[in-house]
Amino acid sequence: MALDGLIILDTTGRPIVQSGFHSFPPAYPLLHIDAVNTALASAKRPSDVDPVIYVQGLNLESPSACCHMKRGELRYLCPVSGDVDPLYAFAFLQTFVDILHEYFGHLSAETLKDNFDIVYQLLEETLDSGGHPLTTSPNALRDIVLPPSLLHKVLSVAGVSGLASSTATSHPFASPIPWRKAGVRYNNNEIYFDVVETLEAIVNKNGTPAVSTVWGRVDSNCKLSGTPDLLLTFSNAQSLLDCSFHPCVRLQRWSRDKVLSFVPPDGKFKLMDYRYAPATASAVAQTSIPFMLRPTVQIDEHGGSVDLTLSSRLTTRSMENVFVELYLGDGASGASCTASHGASWSYSPKTQTLVWELKQIVPSANYNIRGTFSSTAEHPRPSRAFRVRFEVPQYNYSAIKIEQLKLTGEVYKPYKGMRGSSLGNIEWRW
Amino acid sequence: MSSFRAPPRKGENFELAADLNSEYKDKRKDAIKRVIANMTVQKDVSGLFPDVLKNMQTDDLEQKKLVYLYLMNYAKTQPELVILAVNTFVKDTDDPNPLVRALAIRTMGCLRAEKIIDYLCDPLQKCLKDDNPYVRKTAALCVAKLYDLKPELVIENGFLEQLRDMIADSNPMVVANTVAALTDIHAAAVAAGVPRDQFPISTDIVNKLLVALNECSEWGRVAILNVLARYTAEDAGESEHICERVVPQFQHANASVVLSAIKVVMIHMRDISSENLSKTLIRKMAPPLVTLLSNPPEVQWVALRNINLLLQKRPDLLSNELRVFFCKYNDPLYVKVEKLDIMVRLASENNVDPLLSELKEYAQEVDVDFVRRSIKAIGQTAIKIDEAAERCVNVLLELIGTRVSYVVQEAVVVMKDIFRKYPSTYEGVIPTLCANLDELDEPEAKASLIWIIGEYAKKIDNADELLGIFVDTFTEESYPVQLQTLTAVVKLYLQKPESSQGLVQKVLNTATKDCDSPDVRDRAYIYWRLLSTDPGAAKAVVLAVRPPITLPRTTVSAVLLEELLGEIPLLASVYHKPAETFVGRGRIGADTVQQKKAELADDRIATQKALQTVAAGQQAENLLDFDDDVQGDGQPSGLAATTILAQTPAAANLLAGTSSNPLDDLVSIFGGANLNSTPAAPAPANGLGGFGFGASPLAPAAPSITPTALSPQPPQQPAQGGQDDLLGLF
Repeated sequence: MALDGLIILDTTGRPIVQSGFHSFPPAYPLLHIDAVNTALASAKRPSDVDPVIYVQGLNLESPSACCHMKRGELRYLCPVSGDVDPLYAFAFLQTFVDILHEYFGHLSAETLKDNFDIVYQLLEETLDSGGHPLTTSPNALRDIVLPPSLLHKVLSVAGVSGLASSTATSHPFASPIPWRKAGVRYNNNEIYFDVVETLEAIVNKNGTPAVSTVWGRVDSNCKLSGTPDLLLTFSNAQSLLDCSFHPCVRLQRWSRDKVLSFVPPDGKFKLMDYRYAPATASAVAQTSIPFMLRPTVQIDEHGGSVDLTLSSRLTTRSMENVFVELYLGDGASGASCTASHGASWSYSPKTQTLVWELKQIVPSANYNIRGTFSSTAEHPRPSRAFRVRFEVPQYNYSAIKIEQLKLTGEVYKPYKGMRGSSLGNIEWRW
Repeated sequence: MSSFRAPPRKGENFELAADLNSEYKDKRKDAIKRVIANMTVQKDVSGLFPDVLKNMQTDDLEQKKLVYLYLMNYAKTQPELVILAVNTFVKDTDDPNPLVRALAIRTMGCLRAEKIIDYLCDPLQKCLKDDNPYVRKTAALCVAKLYDLKPELVIENGFLEQLRDMIADSNPMVVANTVAALTDIHAAAVAAGVPRDQFPISTDIVNKLLVALNECSEWGRVAILNVLARYTAEDAGESEHICERVVPQFQHANASVVLSAIKVVMIHMRDISSENLSKTLIRKMAPPLVTLLSNPPEVQWVALRNINLLLQKRPDLLSNELRVFFCKYNDPLYVKVEKLDIMVRLASENNVDPLLSELKEYAQEVDVDFVRRSIKAIGQTAIKIDEAAERCVNVLLELIGTRVSYVVQEAVVVMKDIFRKYPSTYEGVIPTLCANLDELDEPEAKASLIWIIGEYAKKIDNADELLGIFVDTFTEESYPVQLQTLTAVVKLYLQKPESSQGLVQKVLNTATKDCDSPDVRDRAYIYWRLLSTDPGAAKAVVLAVRPPITLPRTTVSAVLLEELLGEIPLLASVYHKPAETFVGRGRIGADTVQQKKAELADDRIATQKALQTVAAGQQAENLLDFDDDVQGDGQPSGLAATTILAQTPAAANLLAGTSSNPLDDLVSIFGGANLNSTPAAPAPANGLGGFGFGASPLAPAAPSITPTALSPQPPQQPAQGGQDDLLGLF
């Protein structure tokens, strides 16, 4: 059971990075690239292509499958042969994408080409040629593959390469804890927690939610010296359900006391994921949607009209970066609208989507957009739902708070910080 | 190859060669980078081999890595040159820097050059005992690679014993990699037909693994969990112990770990006798499964496929979580389709109202394929839950009222299934259906409506007129419609002989004289003779009472289900097809028993050929469904054959190596449509396919079907449209 390798395709479907495939015929990766490109080309919508594609082998004995996913503008392929866990492939791809993000920030074909030597080193360190993922923890990787840095570049240009490479420690993996490197030192010991909650909901015509779920994640940035052993207590841990954790969290402890006991990795990491369910009410309790949408959609021959009013239900906070989208259906050719409060709207002919963009929605206010659209289809069939995305900064649906952060194993007292933010991704049917 | 060409005097490679030999360190390093850059865009830089090799001995780790990268790329084509590098490699495995030691041993393992391998053993021996865990864990994987190339070297040098000892290593990462290496070796040994178990798992090992499980990386956890899944517990107590220790992994952030842990628990739960404990374990599985649905669509899809399988075994698993599976309109189609299927699976009296209102919503979506599936799901719900049937029918009527062509057509098809499940219950809707006769242009919808008209001919006053329309255009219709028209007219005649004498004459005439399908023609002759010899017998045969259809609770047989659950989350469980039954599937299914004696290589090729045939065309769908139905109906032949086959080395070989691919084959044919999990998937519209398909579960050997062959069958046939022709026969 193993992964055969990894291939990264650019926007045009050409490979820009690929692992060795040493134990395969040279045409093997090409077959997979072709299979994916063909599948994408023949699909009506590229996003509807199955994430696992069958690939006919060169000879009768070597058929295989290709797991692929698109992140940003690049597409990542992981060919597998044999009865392999596709999740393993996807998990590895995702991990690799995350690592690339860590190293290079924004990912594009250009970035990867500019830093190909680092990309290849990363590939060598993360995926063994036998198909086993090796070192994927960013902490450990930084020890063995140096990230690109200005200093590094300056030094190498100046010809002091000996100095530049000396930062790689000569004792990697000496730490007994795989996710934390040994001997970390900071002048200021601080740890930050970012709580991001996303409300995913589908709202019925009558304005009642058919389903609404709050998914939360806690990202952490840890700058603590030595080997700190942390004990983190949340004020309302009982309402955090279906949690999944970074491997550093002691799971038994959580299931017993609902406290997080862990030795954190150094730097940025994702501490946990959870689903928030209001603790007070019954099983059907759902988080309410922070706005109200009153849509009127009229469909005529070769077009129709839209009248939409959005009012905030929040009383003290404002919503930001609100996007309301409506897919106008096959054949849609254009739209013309007027939006209140100087909000902007646009029509994207590529996606045939009408987008209404509101930078800010102040508490308890009403916003309106009305207009018409045209279509080449006689009976246009726009999608049955508006898609609304928004942000509410410095707010959490769950009102989760850190009650206490205890540190043992080290003598200093850390500074801790917590920041919340909320996102929404709502489908509102009309 | 440029090796027998004169070295280029100019051009990029010439410049690079000069730079590689430069006296300045950075210039050399920069040149290596450029060489690698050219190599990665498939430019031939093999001619620079000696020049690059000179730069191998360096203190700069990064430069060393790049040179190694180059060596790995060209080792296969230039093995005689790689020999020059051996000394440096061996020296590097003694380097004070553990990174260099690990890098050297890893690269030597990757080179896959015969000549290098002989030099590999001594350094490997050393590295396996290295002080640094990073070197040890790298060396462990190297053993597996060596085994792949020259198994006898591994055994001679006692590396296997050494690996088994390393399971007790103090570092969990080393344990995880050792387990991965041993698993690879085990798989390779099984594939090569080595009789001895290269990785026997003892209680002792299990205990060590359970300790390491909590401390190693996610990849290590998956490797360990896979080994635990292979282990057979001594007694119920040990099974409980394993389950308890594995359950915390449900909360791991990595979906692969979660599903592997679920697999281990599902496997070891079989031995747990305490009902309470099983219930608790099942309850603990629900939250992580729900959490998986907050992942990106690719992961969601794999998770959904596995949830679908788990639900077949444990229908109570997610009984309160219907809402989680509601589809968003911008979900990819493959996710929506799986969600729909699971929603129907979760449908019960308690949640049927929200379910129906969702399905109705989906049926008005933009995506035609999804709309059709949603309407099918409404039909499946009606067939599954008796109490909700009326509500489902009402929803279908509302949808027919929208007069959107494909919605109406699909609804008609679904109504036919509802009539088959609840005969004589919803006759009131027949006029509405008939009113939409003109809208129908798809063969399946037409055939469905004709079937309904034929079945209820007695109650429909103008049945002869309606059928007359189809008889007039008989030769222009597709075969399924022709078959259905033929049967319906005969039914009409048997119920109302006085008004339809002319019609039946006409249709029998046309079908026997002007029709080019042998199926239609033969059936017409059967009817004709039946009617002319004994109208009483004809009535008994054609109008016989048929058992109502039900929705199968599982799409795969119980034994197969157990097997697939053991393969979570491997491809087999994603595709709901056992890896090795693929050998017996399709064309060579009948002679599986002989197959097991066949030569290994022949067997493989035969399998692949069969698969190609399967992949080749539409016929494949029938073949595969055919097999499934055989199993679904609990007939031992198909499955028994499977088990026999699984024990043969050839099959095992396929299992380990190439076997899963047929699954992909299927998927590539059907795209997002998961044919097994959606019992009402559109059956092929050609008459031959439909016929063979319907017939197979009943009497695979003899397609001559008599009412007696049908009656003892449990009413377990899936509600597939393809069966109509067959059932319509009687």
